[in-house]
Amino acid sequence: MKCAQVRELFGAYWDDETTQAEREALEQHFTACDECRSEYEVFSRTLELMGSLPRTEAAPDLVDRVLARARRVSPAPDRVAGKGLRWVPVTAAAALAVLALVSIAPWFNVTPREGTRPAAPVAVHDPAAITPERSGVHEPAREHGVGASQLARTVISDSLFDHSEDVEFILDPVTLKRGRVRSLAPSTMGVQGERASITF
Amino acid sequence: MGRVAEDEERAFPELVRRYQGRVTNLVSRVLNDRECADDLAQEVFIRVFVHRRNYRRGSKFSTWLFTIAANLAKNEIRRRVRRRNWFSLDALQEVLKDSAIQLADPTEGRESAMEREQLQKAVGHAIATVPEKYRLALVLRDIEGLAYEEIAQVLNIPGGTVRSRINRARSMLKRKIQPLLKREGQP
Repeated sequence: MKCAQVRELFGAYWDDETTQAEREALEQHFTACDECRSEYEVFSRTLELMGSLPRTEAAPDLVDRVLARARRVSPAPDRVAGKGLRWVPVTAAAALAVLALVSIAPWFNVTPREGTRPAAPVAVHDPAAITPERSGVHEPAREHGVGASQLARTVISDSLFDHSEDVEFILDPVTLKRGRVRSLAPSTMGVQGERASITF
Repeated sequence: MGRVAEDEERAFPELVRRYQGRVTNLVSRVLNDRECADDLAQEVFIRVFVHRRNYRRGSKFSTWLFTIAANLAKNEIRRRVRRRNWFSLDALQEVLKDSAIQLADPTEGRESAMEREQLQKAVGHAIATVPEKYRLALVLRDIEGLAYEEIAQVLNIPGGTVRSRINRARSMLKRKIQPLLKREGQP
């Protein structure tokens, strides 16, 4: 082992982090090289001196001073909790917006007539006379050039019809428990009818 | 530390009492300034108190504590450098010269208490002249006895960098101390 290599290993040798082969090579080198041995003695003496420096004791009143100051300061905000709270208003606003949209959505399908309040849905007992607005591809009323009053009736929301004869219930009350939706109705499998709507 | 984070009243004073010595010694050796070490140690514990809820449970408290202490010590060194009020190399040479004269006194066969004190003072000053980034690693390793891995966490640098910094710091310190030891009669 060359002198330069030996000196590279001084630190590892001091920390006892050399391999056995390195340690043996180093110690063999020291027996033959006075200069490296002398260098290592200075090196180790330096670190011994560092290690033997007297410990600086804390000031006797340090604890009291720290506590006195600590009483006057407030803790920094919890970073984890802070991050969690930031999205709450946004989520709440989004949820409210969705609720509002869902609530008013049925009224957007109604062509308001003068003197008619959109908030007062009218139940029509003859749904067969009216072609529903969202009946799909086929719109016979338009194809045959029906009158304006009849056309106006075609855009009345399907949700305004009285489907009480078609279905057994309008609203199915639900409860939320532990994040799972549970229906209070025993089953909806027995419901008969082509169409059902929920009216608010 | 978990009890401190939960605002248990008696936990924080206990924590300060337990770690005050290590923190004071660390900053004192890094800055070579006893007076400032007290103030800085106080600041370290205040930071611990203020940020107690950000302490990650399961991580080693002393590592977190030393990280705060090392950062504050670094800030202080930089502040002093900016103010050009830091310990100069000339001052170190003066101290070394004084120490060497006393240590070389042939009438003393053994190292007297005064000599030892002078030597320690000189070593303390020599440490303070090692550049900051090497000095912190050196003090954490050779005075506070931290493992290389823990120093890497405290200084937030890779383990290999820690080793190279400590090696360089030791070599620098050895060069500074060597003249003193030769006069002392050491090899």
